[in-house]
Parts: sequence; structure tokens; C-alpha cells
Amino acid sequence: MNNLCTDIGWKSINHAGEQLCGDHVDIVEQDENSTVIVLADGLGSGVKASILSTLTSKIISTMMASGLSIEDCVKTIAATLPICSERGVAYSTFTIIHLINNETAELIQYDNPMAILIRDGKNYDYPKTEMHIDGKKIFRSSVKLQENDVFVAMSDGCPHAGIGIGYNFGWQRDDIIIFMEALANAGYTSKTLSTYLVDEVNKLYGEQPGDDATACVVKIRRREPMNILFGPPSNRNDCDRMMSLFFSKEGKHIICGGTTSTIAAKYLRRPLRASIEYEKSDVPPIAKLEGVDLVTEGVITVNKVLSYAEDYLSGNELYEEWSFRKDGASLICQLLFEEATDINFYVGRAMNPAHQNPDLPINFSIKMKLVEELSRCLKQMGKRIKVSYF
Amino acid sequence: MKITVCIGSSCHLKGSRQVVEQLQYQINQHNLKESVELGGTFCMGKCQQGVCVTVDDKFFSVTPETVSEFFKTEILEKLT
Repeated sequence: MNNLCTDIGWKSINHAGEQLCGDHVDIVEQDENSTVIVLADGLGSGVKASILSTLTSKIISTMMASGLSIEDCVKTIAATLPICSERGVAYSTFTIIHLINNETAELIQYDNPMAILIRDGKNYDYPKTEMHIDGKKIFRSSVKLQENDVFVAMSDGCPHAGIGIGYNFGWQRDDIIIFMEALANAGYTSKTLSTYLVDEVNKLYGEQPGDDATACVVKIRRREPMNILFGPPSNRNDCDRMMSLFFSKEGKHIICGGTTSTIAAKYLRRPLRASIEYEKSDVPPIAKLEGVDLVTEGVITVNKVLSYAEDYLSGNELYEEWSFRKDGASLICQLLFEEATDINFYVGRAMNPAHQNPDLPINFSIKMKLVEELSRCLKQMGKRIKVSYF
Repeated sequence: MKITVCIGSSCHLKGSRQVVEQLQYQINQHNLKESVELGGTFCMGKCQQGVCVTVDDKFFSVTPETVSEFFKTEILEKLT
């Protein structure tokens, strides 16, 4: 065992005029430290391609995660995929990244552009073995993982970007490598890295993609615990117990809520200094408290964080807002989405009498709902979440 | 003289941002940076009366509508 973990993110764009994507990414967690990721690109585009790639990725990821061999997977696919009436073949290319115990990555690639591995900011040309299964040429590699390794798997829509528009032969793999080398170690999440790549592809297509294009990024990183305190405990006498549990934990500490941070300040015997600097944002200012990495207001800020989280999981369009701004909600997003891998929530269930005013859009049930929704989103981002109530 | 404005959830929703910005503007206009210190604080426990403002520990309830009046009577007049 080591203290590495993976951050997986992907983004697709559709062939211009199509509502469905012919590429599909499927991720199956085998156990806590092993994951199977499959990126499949179905023949053609639209409905047919979408069905082919969905079937392929689902079948492979499920079979691999159950420990079956790649030979069995490929044979199963060949026997199951519906045959295209126009072209007389059943065909979907795929890239498999099988992470084993967070120590080794096994890559199995069939006809997609070769996955890129960036190690220490430089392209790393990993060894490949060629094998033939059912007449298909499949490349297999096994790579020992290191911290900061970045794998980039893609469908051929990426290197084909700009053919005939900006480039004679498209945006070639070597160009993509140079593009990704510059970004890989800049602290971005996998989701953001894949977004940058696919957005660039879209630009090269003149925003009229001639093919479905998908990038899936897997980043190997060290585990990073983070603790977040939200709301005072329902029983006043539990304050000290809650604080001592919270502060004894390893990792950074975030406190959300005015009353909550006042309690923490009392516990730490340090002054709490609220700032009145309004950043370009509609959330209240942050505060400073020695011994705590970030202090923000509660419900309004967390509500904003939740809306950023939901966007991050869908189109990731607000990325440029939260990743550079300095307001409370943006700072929480940077810590939770980018830095943290294991997040402990300490949620107090005290009722704030001031919030029970029917004129205000905040109340107790909204607060509990926020925690539930936010932890669901964070789980979807691949984080380990623990929520304790007080 | 120290003015403290609550920036907690409840007061924020009642317009503490406008109150802070108004006060910052007025203080600049009257060149009072030397004699008036403006700061923020979290909940003062009187949310029903927000936006909560204290001037040297004396409590006031201010709204974005009444802030300029408040500034005139409680700050300007007290200083001169």
C-alpha cells in the first residue's frame, strides 16, 4: 500500500449536429484502490456510435473489474456488438486504463490514439507489447505509478481537430503532448485538464466538430485530507468535544459559519477578524483566525459552492470564476475540488433562531440539504467523504 | 472611532454589503480615514434587527436606506 490515489476526469464534445456522443467513458471501481477506466469510440457518430461505444465500455469495464482477462473481454465484444447494416462490421475502438492497487497502471489499447503519459512534466514513452486477439492488434503496457503521473486517453476526434482548417493533418499527437506538458503539473484537476484539451479541440474545429472528441485524464496524486466544520452543535455542551475532534484531525481546516467560527475562536483563544473586502462576488467576505486555513460565512457561501460543484460535474463552465477568485466560496472550491482527496465534514445541527425568520431564504432544513447535496457531488468527483453530525 | 458592521448570513441578506460600501465611500468623501476605523464582524446575536452596526460598542440597526442618515447623525456630528 502507498498513499497515492487517482483523480479521474473527462469531457466529450459531439459531432456537429448530433445530440448524442459516439464516445463513451465508463469508470468502475474494483475496490478502494483499483479502478477500471474505459474510453470507447463507436464507429461513425450519432445513435449508432453511441450504442456501440456504450456497450463496449460497459462490457469491458464490468468484465475487467470482475477479474476476467482481456482476451475474454475482446471475444465477448466481438460476439455481442450489433453489426452495422451499412458497413457490415461491428466496431468500436477502446482504451483501457486499469489501475491496480494505486501502484500499477495496465494500459490496453485498441485503435484509439495512443494514450499519453506525462511524468514530471515531460512525455514518458512507456513500453508497449503488441498482441493479436481475434485478428485485432492490441497494445498492452504495464507502468509503475509515480506521484504526479498524468495519463491522457483520447478518441481520434482530438488529433483530427482542425484537419483542413488550421492544419493539414490535424492537431497531431505530438502537438497535443506539448500542449499537455505545459498544463500537467500546474495544479489543475483532471476534469479541468480534460476540459482545456477538449475546448482547444473544439476551437480548432471552428466549434463545428467533424467528429466526436473525448479526453479522459487520470492523475496520480498523494492523498490529501481536509476537514470542514459547518454549524454549531445542537447541544451547547458538545462544543468542546466537536472542536477537539475537528482540530485533532490531520490536514487543512475550513470553518463555515459566523457563530461556528466564533465558537472555534473561543476554543483556540485567538481573535477572529472578519474582513470587509468584498471580492467580485455575491457571497459575504471571509475572516481570519490563526490556526484555521479558511474561515467563511455559512449557508450563502456553501450554497454557492454547491452550485459550482454541480457545474463542475456537468459542463465545467464556471471554472474560470472559482479557480481564480478570492471570495469565500471560490476559496472553498479550490480547496475541496482541487486539493482535497479525503474530506471530513463536521456538521452541527443547532437551529439558528435568526434563520427561522420566514422572510429569509435560509433555514435549518436547507442547511442539512446543502450538506447532503454537496457530499454527493464531492463523492461523484471521486473524493472520500465522511460526515459526522453533532 | 471604530465602526463595526456585521457581515454574517442574516445581515448579508439584509444588505450589509451596501452598508459597508456606503460607509467606505462616505469615509473617503469626508477624509476621515485617520479618525474612523471600519471593520467587519460575524453574528452579533441580534439578527432580527440587522443590519447590525456598532460604533464604539454602541449598537445601531441600519439599513441600506438609512445608512447615509446614520452616517450624518452618528459619525459626522459626533466627530465635529
